[in-house]
Amino acid sequence: MSLTDEERREFSDVVLPLLDEMHALAVHLCRNHSVAEDLVAETVMRACENFRELRDRSKVKPWLFRILTNAFFSSCRKQKTRQEVSYEEVQGEDDAGSFSLFQQLSHPFLLWWGNPEREFTNKLMDEDIRRALAELCEDHRVVILLSDVEGLSYAEISESLDIPIGTVRSRLARARSMLQRKLWRCAQEMGFGVSRRRSRQEALKE
Amino acid sequence: MTGSKAKQLNCQEALRKVFDFVDGALEGVSLVEMRTHLATCRHCFDRAEFERLLKARMARLKANPASGELRARVQSLIEGG
Repeated sequence: MSLTDEERREFSDVVLPLLDEMHALAVHLCRNHSVAEDLVAETVMRACENFRELRDRSKVKPWLFRILTNAFFSSCRKQKTRQEVSYEEVQGEDDAGSFSLFQQLSHPFLLWWGNPEREFTNKLMDEDIRRALAELCEDHRVVILLSDVEGLSYAEISESLDIPIGTVRSRLARARSMLQRKLWRCAQEMGFGVSRRRSRQEALKE
Repeated sequence: MTGSKAKQLNCQEALRKVFDFVDGALEGVSLVEMRTHLATCRHCFDRAEFERLLKARMARLKANPASGELRARVQSLIEGG
């Protein structure tokens, strides 16, 4: 059913200001600019077709993200590219949310040597985060993107993904745990961790 | 919040709520309890600060504006809808 001119204007007013946010989400999901642009276009088209279903205009953002993530998952299924949850991520499920990058980096007894966790976040490049995110399965990636990149509340994520708030919490905890495992590898490559700890311990003995 | 009083959290309880805190999902008594604990525990404060910092780094990935072409494409989709 096509929109009236007035509805089209209203649609334009509420959707266009969110175009950058939809695009950012699509880019991190698809990891390819032209595929991401197609996904955004498809989202806008579907949203336009179903605009009359959106009764509460204040919920336009989670509504659009819901359409976008559904379209993304549906295209993954069609292309059979949906990433299986890796063995490592299944292991992560057992101790949901238990891996802490902070615990790995922090050495409170060596306070006078500086603050390695702050040092790490300063050294961390956007590309390191992008790479770590790209290694997550889609379910984990989506929930982290909605929360930390798009800044949605748990209630909005629940609406976007059509899952209960409790599931948002637990999935987010697992996703962060997995992401931090991957960032820890990155930290080790930068020289944080064992060798650095050893050199500090050696220095302390001197 | 009627009838619920703030209690003293131990570190385990505080760390269980650290992401809720950083995500702004704590309110009322729970938020007061968390803030009180963080004000007195250096380790939990540092952990919360680290998670907040990491979340802020993630938010930087949002800077990914739509191209002029995509904007025009979307505009024409809306006009045609």
